[in-house]
Amino acid sequence: MAFSATFARFIRIPILAAMLGLLLSGCGVNNIPSHEESAKAKWSDVQNQYQRRADLIPNLIETVKGFAAQERTVLEAVTAARANATSIKISPEIINDPEAFKKFQEAQAQLSGALGRLIAVSERYPELKSNQNFLTLQSQLEGTENRIAVARRDYIEAVRVYNTELRTFPGVIWASTLYKSNKPMETFTTATDLSRPPQVRF
Amino acid sequence: MRRALLVLALLVLALLFGASAAYAQTLTFPQQTGRVTDDAGILDSATRAALVEKLAGLEARNTDQLFVVTVKSLQGYAIEDYANRMFRQWGIGQRDKNNGVLLLVAPSDRKVRIEVGYGLEGTLTDAITKLIIENAIIPRFKANDFPGGITRGVDNLVGLLLGENSAQNIAAQKSAGESKAIPVMAVFLTIWFLIAGWIFYMMHRRGLGGGGSNYSSGNHSSSSWSSSSSSSSSSSSSSSSGGGGSSGGGGSSGSW
Repeated sequence: MAFSATFARFIRIPILAAMLGLLLSGCGVNNIPSHEESAKAKWSDVQNQYQRRADLIPNLIETVKGFAAQERTVLEAVTAARANATSIKISPEIINDPEAFKKFQEAQAQLSGALGRLIAVSERYPELKSNQNFLTLQSQLEGTENRIAVARRDYIEAVRVYNTELRTFPGVIWASTLYKSNKPMETFTTATDLSRPPQVRF
Repeated sequence: MRRALLVLALLVLALLFGASAAYAQTLTFPQQTGRVTDDAGILDSATRAALVEKLAGLEARNTDQLFVVTVKSLQGYAIEDYANRMFRQWGIGQRDKNNGVLLLVAPSDRKVRIEVGYGLEGTLTDAITKLIIENAIIPRFKANDFPGGITRGVDNLVGLLLGENSAQNIAAQKSAGESKAIPVMAVFLTIWFLIAGWIFYMMHRRGLGGGGSNYSSGNHSSSSWSSSSSSSSSSSSSSSSGGGGSSGGGGSSGSW
């Protein structure tokens, strides 16, 4: 009898703790950190895809140079835009820093524009257009631009969820007590038209 | 008491607004009818049956899910966007492998796309899907032979997914059509594809391996995309509905 009473008392504590835990997670105490992690993961995917695009460019430029070296201004514009975009030091804090985020976004948009012009110019060179290496690079570039669009969309959605959680009930309670250091995240503002992949005809 | 009522009213309002915001950007997909969904009505029943059999055979052999969908309209969306949203909504591919492929045809917009799930980006690279679209599909679509183009495209995809056809062969088909003296190029391309495929594969295993399931679960929690069919979540993997796979925009598109 005494044994079962002690046993009951011992077992009651973890059960209470578990119930308290359930109660707390039920009212969204974990939402802010988990939405934050999810948005950060989406952001690193955005960065990966932009990096992947930057990695494709040197090869693309070499290939175009082989057939259309006289298009110097366009080629140089792409090289400069790529250098500018990759020179921006990317830290995880960028998503909380409006200035840095704007700079990053503008540099990438500039590179998109320069690349679009390069692809448009290469339309004038039939030999380049039928070069297998160029075709492969071109399809990879298209694919990467599309992946960037998807990654950006996912990031925008994740940030929307996170920022909404910070400002709506019950998240706003936790945001003002437990997670005071959590700030709303920055998101992309340019029209999606700018991020459309350059249209290419074969 | 009044205050409680006010709070309650505000909550109800918030719910209503949430719901209306979710409905504002509704994109409706056609009713999914198994692995082949011919909403545009361009496939005859014999072709359709043959396709269904091929696709079921593929999934039985290595669990890769290839879906063929024709739509009446893209509802103003770019085909890349539409295909990606449909892919995720239907959850094509197995959840843990993300090994789905979607061949989407929009005859009225004269657009076609092969959307590749995360797990197959190494096998079906952007370059090879582009070749399939340009060489196998579009020439037949131009001649209004939709069943032929789709069948040929599916054959190429299935061959690659089962390892029975190689990127080399598919690249060579084009070379043969254009000029004779290209074997060197074909060899170069094969090596290139192999290396690229391997790199993608390795990148994938490291970088996105954990991300894959993350994406699909994130995708299920977002409720803003409603579909006219809710079958994707209700039935289990044994049937012909999606297994919960996700895609990040891999693949290629073309128009004719």
